[in-house]
Order: sequence, then C-alpha cells, then structure tokens
Amino acid sequence: MEKPVAKDPGFYIMVLIGLLIMFGAPIWFDLFAIMQVTQYVVLSVYALSLAYIWGFGGILSFGQSCFFGLGAYTFAVSSINIGETTFPFILSFVLPAAFGAALGYFMFYGRLSDVYLGVVTMVVTLIFWKIINHTAGPEYSIGDARLGGFNGIPSIPILNMPGDPDAWLDPAQMFKFFMFLLIVVYIGLRVLIASDFGRVSVGIRENETRSSLLGYDVRRHKVIIFAIGSGIAGMAGAMWATYQTFIDPNAFSLEMSAKALIWVMAGGVGTLAGPILGVILLQWLSLKLGTLQFLNNFVILGAILMVLVLALPRGLVPSVKHWALTGWEMFRRRERAAPPAKEVTSDV
Amino acid sequence: MSDADDHKVIRTTGLTMRFGGVTAVDHVDFALNEGELRCLLGPNGAGKSTFFKCLTGQLTPTEGVVEFRGQPITGWLTHDIVKLGIGIKTQVPNLFNGLSAYENVRLSARRKHLAPMARQKAEEMLEKCGVTDLAKREVGLLAHGQRQLVELAMVLAGEPSLVLLDEPAAGMTGDERDRLARLVLELSRNASVIVVEHDMAFIRQIAKQVTVFNRGAIFREAPIDEIMRDRAVQEIYLGKQADVAA
Ligand SMILES: Nc1ncnc2c1ncn2[C@@H]1O[C@H](COP(=O)(O)OP(=O)(O)O)[C@@H](O)[C@H]1O
Ligand SMILES: [Mg+2]
Repeated sequence: MEKPVAKDPGFYIMVLIGLLIMFGAPIWFDLFAIMQVTQYVVLSVYALSLAYIWGFGGILSFGQSCFFGLGAYTFAVSSINIGETTFPFILSFVLPAAFGAALGYFMFYGRLSDVYLGVVTMVVTLIFWKIINHTAGPEYSIGDARLGGFNGIPSIPILNMPGDPDAWLDPAQMFKFFMFLLIVVYIGLRVLIASDFGRVSVGIRENETRSSLLGYDVRRHKVIIFAIGSGIAGMAGAMWATYQTFIDPNAFSLEMSAKALIWVMAGGVGTLAGPILGVILLQWLSLKLGTLQFLNNFVILGAILMVLVLALPRGLVPSVKHWALTGWEMFRRRERAAPPAKEVTSDV
Repeated sequence: MSDADDHKVIRTTGLTMRFGGVTAVDHVDFALNEGELRCLLGPNGAGKSTFFKCLTGQLTPTEGVVEFRGQPITGWLTHDIVKLGIGIKTQVPNLFNGLSAYENVRLSARRKHLAPMARQKAEEMLEKCGVTDLAKREVGLLAHGQRQLVELAMVLAGEPSLVLLDEPAAGMTGDERDRLARLVLELSRNASVIVVEHDMAFIRQIAKQVTVFNRGAIFREAPIDEIMRDRAVQEIYLGKQADVAA
C-alpha cells in the first residue's frame, strides 16, 4: 500500500495479461470457449466488488448477491421496457449503488456491530429473494417486463452499441467489452485504493478507533465504500443478465453471496488479483466436477475450500507472495548477510 | 460562559461515567489552563483512562458537561471533537497494525496537510520521536515501547493544541523515557498537555501541577512537591500499587 500504483510492476503485469486475453482469446479460442471465459469475466467483476469492500474497507458482507441480483433485474426490466441497453446498463450500476448507500447509511450510522452487519446484509438478501420468487403472476410486471417469479425473466436484450439498438454485440464483441470492463474496474479500484480516500479506508480497516481519533468520519467512509462495492456488484449482475439473456431469483440467492466470499477468501483478502484467480480456479473446478456423477459438486468444493483455508489461511496470492519474498530473502542473505526486517509490501 | 472560561482549554463539570453498577468517573470538576502541563496520578482503576475517553467522545458521559475552550462538546462524536485540536495517545496503543510506521504517521498528518506537506511532516515527527529507522516496519510487529513512540509521533503529526497521553512511558527503555520526557516538555511550550503516568522518576522530570484521582473522583490537586509529601496520597497510591505488586 506504500507503493504508488504507477510504480508497482504487479499492476502492469495484471493489466497486460488482461489486455492479452482481451485481444488474444477471440483469436485463439473457439466460440464455445470464449463464452465460457466470458462467464469467468463477469464473475470476476462480481468478486472484485466484495474483494474491495472486504479487503480494503473491512466490511464483511454476507449479502453481496443482493446487489448482484438488483443490478441484474434493473437491467432486465429497464432494457425490456426501453428497447435499448446503454441507459439500463448504467442504471444497473447507479441503482444498486444508491440502494447500497441507503442500506449502508442505516447500518453504519446506526453503529451496527460487525456481526449484526453480516446478519442484516444476509436478511436483506433473503427478503429480496423471497419477494422476487413470489412475483410469478401476470399482475407483477413493471411496464412491459413481467417479473416472472421463480420462472425468471427470459428474452433479456443482448447489449447493443450505444445509440444503435439494432447493433447487437456478437459473443466475441461482448467478451471484449466485458474484459475491458474488468480491466477498467481493476484499474479503477487500484487507483482508488492508492488514493487518500483508499488509504484512509485501509486505516479504518486496521483500526476504527484510531481513525476516528485522528478526525476521520468512519461512518461516512464506510457508506461510500459499501456503495461503490454495491454499484460494481450491480454492474456484474447486468453483465450476467445480458450474457445469459435470462435471469431468475437465484441471482439473489445466499449461494451466490457465499460464492463471492469463497472466491475472495481462497484468492486472498486484501488483494484484487487473488479473487479473480479464485473465480477462475473454483469455477473451472466446479465445471469439471459437474461432469462427475458420483459425487456432489458442493461436497467437493467444500472440501477444497477447507483444505485451502487450512493450508493457505491468507489465501492464494498472499501466500505465494510470501513464499516468493521469503525465497528471495534467503537468496539475498546467501549473497550478502543482510539483516532481515519485515517490511510492509504492497499487495496487488 | 464566564470570562474565566476563556483561559480554560478543557473544563468538566460534574462529569460522571457509570458502567452498570461501577462508577468509573464520579462528579469530576476539572479544568486545565491554556498552555498548562498537568499530570494525572492515581491507582489502577481510579478512572483516569475513562476520564480521557469521556473528553474525546469515545464514551458518552452518563452525567455532566465537557467544555473545550468554553464550547460544550458533551455528546459530540469523536471525530468532531478531535478536529477541534485534540490528540490522544491511548493507554492500549491504537495503531494501524498492518501498516508501516511511516504510513501510520502520514495518515495523521494528512488530516491537516496536503499530500506533499503531510509526507514531510510524517518524516519530521518520526525523526523527532527517534523512530526514523522504524519507518518502514509494520507497527503490529514492534515492541511496546516502540509502538508508544510511533503513536506519539502520530499524535504530534496532527498538531493538536491539547494533547492527552495515557501512560506513554509504559514499556519504554530508560533512553526512550528520557527522550519522551524531553518531548513532553518541548510539546508543552506550544500545547496544553495532560499526562497519565505511574513512573515517579518520569513525573518528577516533567510535572508541575498534579491531579490525583481515586475511585473516580479527584482526591487532591496540588503542585508536585506537595503531592510527593502528602501521606494520604502515598497511602491510596502506594497502598494500591503494593497490592498489585503483591
Ligand atoms: N468499558 C467498561 N465497562 C465496564 N467497566 C469499565 C469499562 N471501562 C472501565 N471500566 C471500569 O472503570 C474503572 C476505571 O477504569 P479506568 O478508567 O481504566 O482506570 P485507570 O485508567 O485509572 O486505571 C475500573 O473499575 C474499570 O474496571
Ligand atoms: Mg488507565
């Protein structure tokens, strides 16, 4: 956190890999593979939303899917009504962010303790899930869009070029656009985390009492952090909705919230690269395991998670980084006897 | 507000803090003059730390009034109170454990200054507190005395006009204590200071006026020489200390 973004090689490596995949994948992979990877990209954006509020604001939410679902339904309903997707896509960021700000205001200004915060975020998500599930009848429609209850909303428009509702993105274009968004979100969060606001957020994560004793308004900071995370989760929801052209109440499910927690935990809380890696690894695994018939996918995933948490309690990226640094330190010490001192390093 | 208030940095009237059945601070009337350096003494559990927490809004007093330069601040939020110019080193250090010493101090300086000035200020304060060589170290891994010095640098970087130090010398080596005493004396030239300490040698180095707390109330208030001779103070203070030691 000390190093400015511009001087961190890890940052450039990440962006470069991103650009390489963005332009390379459509050339190297077939359509089916591209669509598979698109799914990882969407879920990575979703994972980053939690990675940010948890890792860099100390807010542990058990209901991140609340905003994912809200974004998905916002996009579905508004794009079906409007008949174009640019404004709905923007709305799917803005509306969840606003809802996150309102919920955050209630939680943080009400001085809810961390445990209650977890419970409240979970309960709010459950309420959404319940309500949307009960909107199957034709009377539940917003304009032209029927909410469809547990049946979900079909025929959600595919993203179109801004200003031209008939110019739909083909799968390769959609992949490129989503990859672009992922890179933008990653860069945006890195810059935000390195900014004064971000450093104060990390201070709040480390010690709320000290932050307020220095004169920082902890509540206001947390509301802003939470709202940003909610907006990003909402945008991921919209990406999901337009990618599948279908959405159902499971977007709001606790499973969807739990997945985000697992990706971030496995990849490493306090990093951004880690949770993306978590998505790719665990989604790929569950895809492979899904083809196995003899064992429940969830049991295996649960077991993998337990092993990961026990073996690498800090998560993948921080652990690998720690090994690399320790290895480098040993190598250097053999070169010349330098006193090893634990210094703070920046995280990707 | 009377004219006399103009000279008081902080004044409490009937300040009381109860935790269930325990009255930690009991109708305390306390006042500190502008630019004064005051020592707070008292056995463990006398209510000194709780008193500090009431002054900084970490606790909302059960009864009574706190005024800062004549302005009532009772019930204010901590971040609004400290912005009036109060810096506190808490008894249990409150630091950003996962961050470097430099970043800890910089985050404090940044509240008052733009980024380049804050960086400079942070370096100055680390230097002043003799912990420049710890700048890049993670504060969570430092020794207690070093943590105290980093927290002090953090408090100073906020350029407060009222400084509260709760047992700042605890865990320090002899050298660190001497440095701390010099720092406190230097600090008191530009700011009002209240120091809670047990170490008598340290107190003798810095103190003039002393307030003795006992069972949540002010027991004595007198110059240091008088306090040192006071049998009753020795009894409550040393008696309790002896109990603890035993
Ligand atoms: N948060 C709290 N809840 C309950 N009792 C407390 C709390 N904080 C302090 N006390 C009690 O208040 C009394 C004064 O404590 P404290 O202010 O820490 O004393 P000192 O700093 O003089 O050693 C003690 O009896 C302590 O147990
Ligand atoms: Mg105390």
